[in-house]
Amino acid sequence: GGGGGRGEGGAWRGRGSDRGRGPGGRRPGGRGPGGRGPGGRGPGGRDPRSKPGGRAKVGLNGGSKVIVEPHRHAGVFIVKGKEEALVTKNLVPGESVYNEKRISVENEDGTKVEYRVWNPFRSKLAAAIFGGIDNNWIKPGAKVLYLGAASGTSVSHVSDIVGPEGCVYAVEFSSRSGRDLVNMASKRTNVVPIIEDARHPSKYRMLVPMVDVIFSDVAQPDQARIMALNASFYLKTGGHFMISIKASCIDSTVAEEAVFANEVKKLQAEGFKPAEQLTLEPFERGHACVVGGYRMPKKQKAT
Amino acid sequence: MLVLFETPAGFALFKVLDEGKLSNVEDLGNLFSSAASARKMVKLQAFDKFDNTSEALEAVAKLLEGAPSKGLRKFLKANCEGEALAVADSKLGNIIKEKLKIDCVHNNAVMELLRGVRSQFTELISGLGDQDLAPMSLGLSHSLARYKLKFSSDKVDTMIIQAIGLLDDLDKELNTYAMRVREWYGWHFPELAKIIQDNILYAKSVKLMGNRINAAKLDFSEILADEVEGELKEAAVISMGTEVSDLDLMHIRELCDQVLSLAEYRAQLYDYLKSRMNTIAPNLTALVGELVGARLISHGGSLLNLAKQPGSTVQILGAEKALFRALKTKHATPKYGLIYHASVVGQAAPKHKGKISRSLAAKAALAIRCDALGDGQDNTMGVENRLKLEARLRNLEGKDLGRLSGSAKGKPKIEVYDKDKKKGSGGLITPAKTYNSAADSLLGQTPKADSAENGVKEKKDKKKKKKADAEEETITEEPSKKKSKKKKTEVEPETEEPAKKEKKKKRKHEEEETEMPAKKKEKKEKKEKKKKKTDV
Repeated sequence: GGGGGRGEGGAWRGRGSDRGRGPGGRRPGGRGPGGRGPGGRGPGGRDPRSKPGGRAKVGLNGGSKVIVEPHRHAGVFIVKGKEEALVTKNLVPGESVYNEKRISVENEDGTKVEYRVWNPFRSKLAAAIFGGIDNNWIKPGAKVLYLGAASGTSVSHVSDIVGPEGCVYAVEFSSRSGRDLVNMASKRTNVVPIIEDARHPSKYRMLVPMVDVIFSDVAQPDQARIMALNASFYLKTGGHFMISIKASCIDSTVAEEAVFANEVKKLQAEGFKPAEQLTLEPFERGHACVVGGYRMPKKQKAT
Repeated sequence: MLVLFETPAGFALFKVLDEGKLSNVEDLGNLFSSAASARKMVKLQAFDKFDNTSEALEAVAKLLEGAPSKGLRKFLKANCEGEALAVADSKLGNIIKEKLKIDCVHNNAVMELLRGVRSQFTELISGLGDQDLAPMSLGLSHSLARYKLKFSSDKVDTMIIQAIGLLDDLDKELNTYAMRVREWYGWHFPELAKIIQDNILYAKSVKLMGNRINAAKLDFSEILADEVEGELKEAAVISMGTEVSDLDLMHIRELCDQVLSLAEYRAQLYDYLKSRMNTIAPNLTALVGELVGARLISHGGSLLNLAKQPGSTVQILGAEKALFRALKTKHATPKYGLIYHASVVGQAAPKHKGKISRSLAAKAALAIRCDALGDGQDNTMGVENRLKLEARLRNLEGKDLGRLSGSAKGKPKIEVYDKDKKKGSGGLITPAKTYNSAADSLLGQTPKADSAENGVKEKKDKKKKKKADAEEETITEEPSKKKSKKKKTEVEPETEEPAKKEKKKKRKHEEEETEMPAKKKEKKEKKEKKKKKTDV
């Protein structure tokens, strides 16, 4: 089993301690995957997570030294080792939501902080951040309305970012995904699960107050209208929105750029002010993310 | 005009103070930009609080269907005399108009108004801060979600996982306490420990008699059999244990009480577990039984998690240590894990346990998915599959019997004549069996690592007879695993059942039960080499 056998197996629990003794500074060690690794042999497994037999180990592996740095956007961090990854601080330490890797880091004062890896191939928001959006309005303490929450994998990361002062209102219509969403929300008290159709925002009017940001990932042909309706109900004046547009979902016969331009025009007609558009290219094909403001107060012209 | 505004805490009615401003829809938003200006626009007229979450859930559920609940109707009747009511949902508005004869309004201005109220309503409703509302809205949303998803509390598999954990804990505790009773009482009456083997009966007897002097007078017929009782009474007289005071005996008796009550509770818990298993996973229960089913669910973490695993995983759940060890060292992987304790696998002969365990695991995976994700509440699927499995088992055993009783199918295959094939000692079809003295030495033989869950046959069992070939190379492998191939007429010792020997003609057919990939490759290489030689 080559290098794979070394740190895994019985010894992996005892590791973290002999690491992170650098003088001051953030020199933490990365603990191995504490969550359900991809082997999927159930919980309580004291087994090696990696496939034994000497598979080449790339990226963040158990026991590798990593450095955690804050990202330009508040609430998001970057972990640097052999490979870089985007991580968020785990609101519920010790638990993985969808079997993602967790990284445990020791502070200068000895307290342990846990981060969860955010996969940009699975989450459109992570793809947008990786892609380099200028402003991320989902920040600690914000109230976010998340349309198209699915099973709650991205929602859990948004909940990590907004922290205990913020709140995430996750809307998802499907019952199967809704069940997973409710399970996830039962562990995180800043997530409010709403199993309703986002096309009828009046149906959840007793649950949602005014929010600061609306994030939409619904993949419907009328998503601009859905976004507009929800914003008219719940998005505060001067609030912001982020929408992920899938070109093939809106109109698969027209060129992508045309689709995106059309959507942007529709949004502008409804009172949105798109500030930036960015393609999610290496992670998703035919997707774009548009970020902007809603009912922004008119700027006073200088002079 | 009045505005109806729903909050997680209750219904609020606001009075619009300045109706003239309603005509200018765009600027309406600005009027609510600060609390003071908002107060100039609307005023809280009445507030109907929900008494508890269930009332809130009911009211909101009805609202979502478009019908006002009783509480809402009363509230509106009491407060809305003669005024128009602005509502967020036009359907609701229509029904209110019909039933309560209150005029309802729903237009852009209303939407803007509602928006404004929503942005300032913590200010407008005194006594309702943000921090109060957050947990209320969380609770309401969870109740609503459960209502929508038709969450039924008796389909929760956490109960199973906890119950089986408790069962194991109880067993351990029971054993510990029973051992303690034996030890403690053994100070006073050591012979009793050997007379009564069962823990529960021991505790009952101790409880009944207390001091061993009482044994002669008492009647143990409900607890013990007659001969045992006789032995007990004899031993009580001639016992060599010391005397103990009444206080000590009282404590020993208390411990016996504990043991007995634990045993009773364990029986109750087992019944509870059985009934829960039948409710939550009826198909799985029909297939593997309650205990094995519960252990599988507990091992998988939850029924849904278990449903995501393929049949091959279900087969070796519980044997992970052996599995990964075998994968690392390139050995045969285990054939069964927790599934071994299912009754169907128990009924099979040792030869067929592997096959049955695989079939059972495949059907069990289907049953688990049926239970976790299906809508049905019955166990028809489980019962059908169990019948199929039992039929398969009968088939397997039948094949065996058929072979033993002798039929054309069982005769040894006659080899195709190939003039170029180099044979052993010219003319002989099978080389003569000679005694292999290498079998005498004990050095270099590794012990077989057999375990119940493993059933791994060591490589030594896989010796094949070889056609002697002068150019045959001796393949050097790990000395513990294989013996080096001999040349010409020597035959390697076989440590398998004689039935297998016929099939060990390497070139023609390969028998595999748990073949290791490395070995297969080597055999294939040898085969190809041989073929090349024959072709040339």
